[in-house]
Amino acid sequence: MPPKNNKGGVNAKGSSAKQEDLTKTQTVYERAQAVYDLTRPPYDKEREELGGLHNLSTVEKTAYANWFCTAPEEYSYLPKKAQKELWKQVNESNRPLRRGQIDKPRPDQWGRDKNGRNIGDYTVQQYEQRIETQAQLTCVKALGRSFASKRLFASKGLVDSSTGEKYTLTEEDIKAEKERRKEMAALTRALYGVKMGPYSSDPEWDDVVPIPQMEPEGALAAIAYPEDYDEAMSYLRAVMAAKEYSPRCLKLTEHVISMNPAHYTVWLYRFANIQHLDMPLLDELEWLNEVALDYLKNYQIWHHRQLLLDHYYPTIADTPDEVKRFARSERAFVMQMFAEDAKNYHVWSYRQYLTRKLGMWENEAHGELDSLEGMIDDDVRNNSAWSHRFFLVFSNPRYATPDSHATEPDPQVPADIIDREVAYAQAKIALAPQNQSPWNYLRGVLVKGGRKLGSVQVFVEQYVDNLGDAEKEQVRSSHALEHLADIYEEAGDKEKADLCWKRLGEKWDRIRLGYWEWKRRSMKAASS
Amino acid sequence: MATTDNRTTDNLVDEEVVSQMADYSTRGSRLPIDVLYTSEPPIVDPLVTTTSKAQDQTIDQCLPLLRAADSNLEYNANGVPRLHRERHIKYLETTLGNLPAAFVGADASRPWCMYWALNALSLLGADVSKFRENLIATAAHMQNKTGGFGGGFGQTSHLATTYATVLSLVIVGGESAYEVIDRRAMWKWLSSLKQPNGGFQMSLGGEVDVRGAYCAAVIISLLNIPLSLSSDSPASAAGLDDLYTGLASYVQRCQTFEGGISAKPDAEAHGAYAFCALGCLSILDAPHRIIPRTLNVPRLISWLSSRQYAPEGGFSGRTNKLVDGCYSHWVGACWPLIQASLGTPSKPAQNSGPQSESTPEFVSFYDREGLIRYIMTCGQDHSSKGGMRDKPSHRSDAYHTCYVLSGLTSAQHVVSAVLAEDEYVANTTWKVSPYSDPQLFDEQDRLNPTDPVYAIPQKKREEVMTYFLSKPGF
Repeated sequence: MPPKNNKGGVNAKGSSAKQEDLTKTQTVYERAQAVYDLTRPPYDKEREELGGLHNLSTVEKTAYANWFCTAPEEYSYLPKKAQKELWKQVNESNRPLRRGQIDKPRPDQWGRDKNGRNIGDYTVQQYEQRIETQAQLTCVKALGRSFASKRLFASKGLVDSSTGEKYTLTEEDIKAEKERRKEMAALTRALYGVKMGPYSSDPEWDDVVPIPQMEPEGALAAIAYPEDYDEAMSYLRAVMAAKEYSPRCLKLTEHVISMNPAHYTVWLYRFANIQHLDMPLLDELEWLNEVALDYLKNYQIWHHRQLLLDHYYPTIADTPDEVKRFARSERAFVMQMFAEDAKNYHVWSYRQYLTRKLGMWENEAHGELDSLEGMIDDDVRNNSAWSHRFFLVFSNPRYATPDSHATEPDPQVPADIIDREVAYAQAKIALAPQNQSPWNYLRGVLVKGGRKLGSVQVFVEQYVDNLGDAEKEQVRSSHALEHLADIYEEAGDKEKADLCWKRLGEKWDRIRLGYWEWKRRSMKAASS
Repeated sequence: MATTDNRTTDNLVDEEVVSQMADYSTRGSRLPIDVLYTSEPPIVDPLVTTTSKAQDQTIDQCLPLLRAADSNLEYNANGVPRLHRERHIKYLETTLGNLPAAFVGADASRPWCMYWALNALSLLGADVSKFRENLIATAAHMQNKTGGFGGGFGQTSHLATTYATVLSLVIVGGESAYEVIDRRAMWKWLSSLKQPNGGFQMSLGGEVDVRGAYCAAVIISLLNIPLSLSSDSPASAAGLDDLYTGLASYVQRCQTFEGGISAKPDAEAHGAYAFCALGCLSILDAPHRIIPRTLNVPRLISWLSSRQYAPEGGFSGRTNKLVDGCYSHWVGACWPLIQASLGTPSKPAQNSGPQSESTPEFVSFYDREGLIRYIMTCGQDHSSKGGMRDKPSHRSDAYHTCYVLSGLTSAQHVVSAVLAEDEYVANTTWKVSPYSDPQLFDEQDRLNPTDPVYAIPQKKREEVMTYFLSKPGF
């Protein structure tokens, strides 16, 4: 049914209302739709809404059809009379006669912005801003292209025909370009959400074609890389593939390490750069100290430090004072690390390396033994410190047999040193007898010295009273009892040894029952 | 057979003895749990140091769980909670999926993530074949033309990531997975890592340690890599014969005065390196020949045995360090190799005299009950997240899930080695079967067995070896 309001109700008012719509239009799509509506044949909108021409009233149909006839190419075919009649009808219909060459707008024809928002839903004002930003980006890009040409011409030594001078690239030019890149990055990001990272927006990296990760589809344990990391890694792969070693590569490795210090590839590549550039050692160490303190658990740092030392040691090897000074400063740093974690395995391994490399064996010269004693005084249960002491004492090249195995006697170690170490271990055991570290140490010392375990029997026995006596048995250290068993076994006193193991399994160290029982069985088997 | 492990037997069989030993009257638990696992050790020194404070804190966080006093948990009649199998599977599958940006620190260890998850899933009996195609694509992407696998695309090849990738491919199995590996390039690369001192560098310019020795031996033996050194290798120039030359003596130099094994000579004995050392040696030759020849076994056993603490029941990695669930594997998996090292070809490699096939049980060197208690109570993340952990105060992660479960399976199964009499046969046949006596845990919580040397399903290990045995060259 044709709507009632179409019957002669259309007048000049309608036209002015449409004008108003246009100015009040909220979104880009609505504005386009309004403009389109204004340029359609009269009643075309109604025809569309009502589902076809047949639903229009006669007047409406006429107005609609007449619009087509007013087109110049159609109109010229009409006889004069018909022309006159046409204009009469057009005037009577009181509908504006607009004609535009525009297609019906689609709501999605402007595409979407970086946030996935339909640009057709932008307000006109927002849209105009966007157009302006796009124009800005175009300008900046054009200036950037002119910079690139200038750089190319300068590199080829070409002459500017307008001035007669050679093209030169000044610091100012580069600075301006860097500023432009920043602007470009900001504009690109604002418009398209595409982030231009620090590398793609730095003219210094223009010559590098990044190698992106290109993860296969469905890759396992794939990480959603942060943009910065992703970009830096793409450039890193590219310079590594090109075997480039340069200050900028060094900076790049620093950047990647700050984001992922466990990246062994970057560390190895960083060292290769340092080698090629012959970087000053102290600068690198200073930087490394900070990284190490930031990432206490990281171990790549310590291998890197070792590589650095191997590389630089020859330059100081002939100056003993220099070596000593360096040893002191390295130990100071190592101690700083131990203040955070006194048992850090990789830091201790580095200390062992340092001791060998810099020959820090003698306490008079290096104070290494004193430093260790300080650590053991802080925590007598720090087994790493005990382990290092064993290494320091029994690998000293002044007397120790080279390559003597840790579990074998070394007749070259002087007796007074064995005496000193036995006394040291015993003094520490006295502080806390249930502490296994000095017990293990004591045994290790006796083995090195080729001494019988029984040589400390009196000392050990003071921690075990009335063994086997249900009422009076007192054991102040299960480790003493274990030693005692071995002392008895060594002396051939099997019954006593067996009793020690039995009591260990029954009461004093029950969790190791399986082991004590194995010891008992093994001794029996050996004697049968 | 003289059963000497009285505690375990009593606990499971003799209610009377158990009720005498349990201190439930003071602890509020009605379950028959031995005091060994519920109270402080009999000797504690009064001296307080950083180490003793940390140890006390650890005991404090473990005891409520060990005493079955955590009201949020359901315990069985032995005071052991169930294994949250479905949750662990779900958690592991998550770690194989897309990881958020916070995982960027794992960018160089993605092959590890793959191995940990796939191996743990296999132990839990989950289907890993669905990951095959994606694993193949991922691994191929990480392989370098110059041999080996890096931690990711464009990363330098590394022995640890190569080890993890190769094992992952073996776990999913099948020719298409095996054929991803460029064996000729691998051989050249391994040759270039071989050091004049017998050890292996982890990567070109990387560190040399016992991990390298183990990873290299695993890769070489699984893939049947020819042992001869490529002529351009520095080790060849130094006069070494082949990839295995001097490897055992490198491992030997890592044994310390404490009896344990360190990462490299001069360093401190550490549980993870003990397993690497024993695993490496067991690949080079039959354990009963090479281990006593290379290491001081009595000292090693004493040190290994000291790794287990009470009341926690778990293993620590070093003297005076704390228990950590991951050593359930690193230390726990040493025991079958130690057992084998004590055997002789004429007798089964067991420590308690001749055994008949029908009664394969023998006394364990360590306290299996303690370890199982620690794993089930303290080593599991009991929240909906799932996964296994270091200790109750720590969050679960893929690394711990893999190694805590590996430790659990080794505590649930008895391993015996059929030792080769022939001096020239290095391969040892390992028989892994469930302990059949009554167990602490519910039978449905028994995991699949694992290979004692390669830490992957035994069948998968056999399949890949059979496959590459037919390819003596490249």
